[in-house]
Amino acid sequence: MLFYAKVLETTLLFTIFVLSVYLLSGLTGLFSLGHGAFITIGAYTAGLATTRFGLPIWIAMVLAIVVGMAAGLVIGIPTLKLRRDYFLLVTFGFGEMVRALLLWTAQLTGGAMGLAGIPYAAELPLIGVSTVVVLIFVANLKKTAFGRNCIAIRDDELAAQAMGVAVYAHKIRVFLLSAAIASYGGALLAFNMSFIEPNLFNWLESAKLIVIIFVGGINSVTGALITSILYYSFGEVFRFANVWRDVILAVLVILVIIFRTQGLFGSWELSPQWIKARFRRRAARAAGKGA
Amino acid sequence: MGSSVFLQQLINGVSLGGVYAVMAVGFGIVFNVLKFSNFSHGGVVAISAYVGYFLSTRVVADFWVVLVATTLIGGVVGLLVERLVFRPVRLAGKPLTYFFVNSITVAMLVQQFFSAMWGAHYYPYPEFFERTAFYLGGLVVSGTYLLMLAISALVLIALTLFLRSTKLGIAIRAASSDIYTPPLMGINTDVVTGVTFVIAGALAGITGFFLGMTYTVTPFIGAMMIKGIIAAIIGGMGSLAGGVVAGILLGAVESLLIAEVGSSVTPIIIYLGIVILLLVRPQGIAGKPYTVKA
Repeated sequence: MLFYAKVLETTLLFTIFVLSVYLLSGLTGLFSLGHGAFITIGAYTAGLATTRFGLPIWIAMVLAIVVGMAAGLVIGIPTLKLRRDYFLLVTFGFGEMVRALLLWTAQLTGGAMGLAGIPYAAELPLIGVSTVVVLIFVANLKKTAFGRNCIAIRDDELAAQAMGVAVYAHKIRVFLLSAAIASYGGALLAFNMSFIEPNLFNWLESAKLIVIIFVGGINSVTGALITSILYYSFGEVFRFANVWRDVILAVLVILVIIFRTQGLFGSWELSPQWIKARFRRRAARAAGKGA
Repeated sequence: MGSSVFLQQLINGVSLGGVYAVMAVGFGIVFNVLKFSNFSHGGVVAISAYVGYFLSTRVVADFWVVLVATTLIGGVVGLLVERLVFRPVRLAGKPLTYFFVNSITVAMLVQQFFSAMWGAHYYPYPEFFERTAFYLGGLVVSGTYLLMLAISALVLIALTLFLRSTKLGIAIRAASSDIYTPPLMGINTDVVTGVTFVIAGALAGITGFFLGMTYTVTPFIGAMMIKGIIAAIIGGMGSLAGGVVAGILLGAVESLLIAEVGSSVTPIIIYLGIVILLLVRPQGIAGKPYTVKA
């Protein structure tokens, strides 16, 4: 039982990361190959605040979000004004830089030895509630004007600008939001695992967060959610096949992009309305049969 | 740092910079034609590094044979990747995003495949030459490094001549400035993209061989591509010449920094430098501004 609870915790944590990337990549079409860096920053900020400075846990979490957003600002300001590739390439470098920084400041962070002894404070209920809150937030954001502006930027930046979307400012806002969620998730990760190390997230982990969204479909939060849960729980339960699961994922991604570009779920969303409509249809069918 | 140490680091750095330059050009040539950041380049580099390792330890431990073989195999792999992964996306006229996602997926596939097959072991290349270092004045110069630099230079010169004066080269340049018009002029863009990927693949083959020789072969060797990408940014995206200059510069600066302040701070300084460069001069060395066109 304990094992499955652990699997569930890990899966939900990664789902938070996937949702943070969904905002950025799925909704806005910006790719951060260093998103793991924000998770690492959140984890280390939270870990250091509690172990080295003895701050309470909730302050550590707030700090993690603030530091993550500040880092996002430093990366976002010079790159988001330029062509998207710059953002992508610089975030890729940023991921490596954060790792180098952690190794360099070994006196404070423990360097390659990692940071141990972080209080175990994030148990299943907290992680579960956080995931649900983030999920509801992201799913609703998609329907607001903010979310529609994101989609407009993703699909045609020039047209969006012509229609009055402040593209640069909007991109920065989305990036900061995504960085905040990722750092919060990172803080949860630190409080859940009690031990963190600089190699927690390399570029590959960040890339996986992106491609998972494309398997599910960039227009479907539900798709991202389901793919993420399947992928991360599969890896935890079938440890023996762990090394091959990424190979399988990669092949799947390429096949999906070539043969079903809109993703497995297209733009389908599991929503109360959809469930209601389905029940109504079934009821109507049953009534039809009866008559 | 004494002047002889300085010179020595400079020579080593410039030779490594030559490899970065080859990497930047391989990355840049695909970027120019298809306008996406081709991360699968790192995958081809990794495949070539492994091929070079197995060839030189199991088949023939000759520098030149392995060099030619990895170059050719890199070219073939480049073409295969284009045909299997990018061509369907291109023919369907899908947005650039999908090229990019496919390219990181290929990089991921290669890295995880090698991890799964051979584990995260380190495979060192054999020594190809008996006498690897010689003395020049007070300096110890690595012969292999000099050879690497010479080959990188020759390859880049040959590529320049190819792009300048052959029909195919001119077609590639035409496609680089605008991929939609050349077909109207009777240029087969299918062939042009294919050849572009063969060239990029061959460059990745050379890179993979050199990186495998300089470091050791691991599944993560493809991530070394970050150096080529940095060079491409510093040089100005879309400019091959800028990438070459920036690659050599990066190699030299990196070696000198490592000697002066240590290998742990060096990446931090370099990345901060890039962020500042993008703030003040996003167009890079080449000075060609690169913006999204409608």
